[in-house]
Amino acid sequence: MTVVLTAAPAAVADSSRGRGPRAGRAWPYLTPLLVLLFAWVYGPALFTGVLSFLEWNLTGAPGGFVGLENYARLLREPEFGQAAGQTMLYAAALLPFSTIVPMFLAIMLWQRPGRTSTVYRSLLFLPVMVAPVAVAVSWRFLLNPLQGLANEVIGVIGLPPMNWLGNPASALIVIVLVTAAKVTAFNMLLYSAALSTLDRRTLQAARLESASAWETTRFIVIPQLHKTTLLLGVLSIVLAGQWVFTNVSVLTQGGPDGVTDNVYYRIYTLGFEFFETGMASAAAAIVLLFFALASLGWVLLTRSNRRRSSANR
Amino acid sequence: MNVFRPSRSALSSSAPSSSALSSSALSSHPARRRLAALLAVGSVLTVTGCAAAAEAGPAEDITITFSSYNYGTAGAAGEGTQALLDAFAEKHPNITVVPEAVPVADVLTKTKTAVAAGIAPDVVQLGYSKLAEALETLPIQSIEDIAGDEWTDHAEGINQALIQTGERDGTTHALPYTVSIPTVFYNADLFTAAGLDPESPPTSIDEVAAAAEAITAAGHYGVYFGAVDSGKSDYLTQSVINSAGGAIVNEGGDITLDSPEAIAGLTAVQDLTTQGLQPAVAVDDAVAAFSSGDLGMLVMTTAVLGNISAAAEGNFELRTSAFPTFSDEEARPTHSGASLVVLSDDEAKQQAAWEFVKFLTSKEGYTMITEKIGYLPLRADLAEDPEYLAGYFAENKLLVPALDQLATLAPYLSFPSAKANQATVLFQDNAVSPIVLRDADVKSTLTEVADRIRDLVGAP
Repeated sequence: MTVVLTAAPAAVADSSRGRGPRAGRAWPYLTPLLVLLFAWVYGPALFTGVLSFLEWNLTGAPGGFVGLENYARLLREPEFGQAAGQTMLYAAALLPFSTIVPMFLAIMLWQRPGRTSTVYRSLLFLPVMVAPVAVAVSWRFLLNPLQGLANEVIGVIGLPPMNWLGNPASALIVIVLVTAAKVTAFNMLLYSAALSTLDRRTLQAARLESASAWETTRFIVIPQLHKTTLLLGVLSIVLAGQWVFTNVSVLTQGGPDGVTDNVYYRIYTLGFEFFETGMASAAAAIVLLFFALASLGWVLLTRSNRRRSSANR
Repeated sequence: MNVFRPSRSALSSSAPSSSALSSSALSSHPARRRLAALLAVGSVLTVTGCAAAAEAGPAEDITITFSSYNYGTAGAAGEGTQALLDAFAEKHPNITVVPEAVPVADVLTKTKTAVAAGIAPDVVQLGYSKLAEALETLPIQSIEDIAGDEWTDHAEGINQALIQTGERDGTTHALPYTVSIPTVFYNADLFTAAGLDPESPPTSIDEVAAAAEAITAAGHYGVYFGAVDSGKSDYLTQSVINSAGGAIVNEGGDITLDSPEAIAGLTAVQDLTTQGLQPAVAVDDAVAAFSSGDLGMLVMTTAVLGNISAAAEGNFELRTSAFPTFSDEEARPTHSGASLVVLSDDEAKQQAAWEFVKFLTSKEGYTMITEKIGYLPLRADLAEDPEYLAGYFAENKLLVPALDQLATLAPYLSFPSAKANQATVLFQDNAVSPIVLRDADVKSTLTEVADRIRDLVGAP
């Protein structure tokens, strides 16, 4: 037994450094995944990088090498800069709908278990089940500025009709709210799952200490959900631009005046509407670089925080 | 990606043409040269081994694909396209046409990606606003060459201005299919309620504004010019600018969309919005409002006639009048709609495609297109021929004003270069939309966008 206990970590340590008898045995297991990763992720990413230096309209043979011209054109056109700014706005605007709102909805439903809670949870989750384009088209009818139900409703309380999607002041907010309905519902489900794993002993202790419902939520429940919140927050920041894509495509096509555009829709427009494959690839490369640097910064920051907290201990 | 098409055709029926194409298109790159050699060997084997198949022409059973933005849509356009397909199938049971539905705004995108993937449709219904770029960037075949001896007889009688729009390198590559021009649809009931005479519709932009003012005062929406087209076409913008005495491009190819005439034309449309006579909404919302009887006048393509007629039936009296004048000169609307192009490089499929295109653009085809969908007849004699459309026009007066303006039709203009579509989208999104719907300064906006388009297409 002693031999086994001492030998196993050594083998693991060796294999982790790429040596020892197990190192060779790992490759057959790793190869399929690596091949798929290269075929679907790293290969296309490399190809995109190459295309960003070429002039190509997709239908003919790739044209000549144009150096950094695609990057220069991209940075010269005002639309890309605006789309980048709007992407950050989407990330900021969707963040509370990805974290705070679904967390409180999930906690409220968790605190009142029963049939009503289940029905309510199902109703909230319904938008996730419907096809995204169907949802967007439905919103288009509801938000029709001349005959839509939304204006009928606000008319009841005396508000004037609004051009929800045609007014630059409201279009982005509408896209965020329409997208948020789905994101909130889905994340509420994830929070519900996280709530089911709470440490019951801490809750019982709080009850024994006569903590109020709010105190229990504030000091016991929410802190135990911080890992879920962190994960959903990061996902929201990274994916917000992609989540709104369908709604932007169906409802506004990036307008009015580019206020609902974002870098992903801009890449699609450049690549598949204008067939500026080189510029679209340059935009994709910039986005990739941005997120790579942001991830690196995040990793360095968390590592330094970890070191600092270890030192404090 | 054309690489794979010849091999497919070689395996079916036309090996000589495929090997010719493979040698020309594949000669530059080493990998392609190897592939070309393989294809050539394949072609030779096919010719020697399948001589009987190589002789097969469209007389044999053959299948072609047809990409159409009308097919599969709800209402008259979809039903009319299906009727055309059914009629062709009855006449040519050996040719199977497989229709492929595509959204109107995505025609060029879908076609280009299909070409890149080597699965290009054989025949495409291609909007005129995308045609210039498509002719530059897609492997569109010369219909004139495919038709051979039949061309002269078939082309005779078709609107020559429209045939010329589809010419490239001296031969016709696109035949007019579903063509419409902007007209004024108006609600005669709202006219009467506003104290206007439906028998005397407005003929100039000033009269349109006056009528819209009366309709608005009666509690309805006045007028809507569909300049901000959902398919990103600039046909109505061009119609306004042409009628004001300008053009987006002059005869020398210079960009002139910021000319004083263009500024005057778009200012007149903007004034309708700023004066509260035109709702600042998307075109689909305006069509819905007109269809439900809330909008007095809708200035839009006759392509929507079928659907609007159906909506108006039993609700209000629908009438039409000619596109209004914007200056002392007569109105010069241009056309929207689509042409037919052939992409197939397979000889047998080309012949089948020609039979299909020939039917769609025949007297019978154009008659069905007018009767069932509401597009304009593109053979001048059909409207007066009792065998074809004379009876139809005697009973259906709604297309008559547009039909009368067909004679003075201005050609649809495209920005030069292979980036024509990008330039048109830039024009519509960055100039027309903010000017017409959001009160942007007309002169500075047009000047700024014109400069960007000059830079984009490399024209003065």
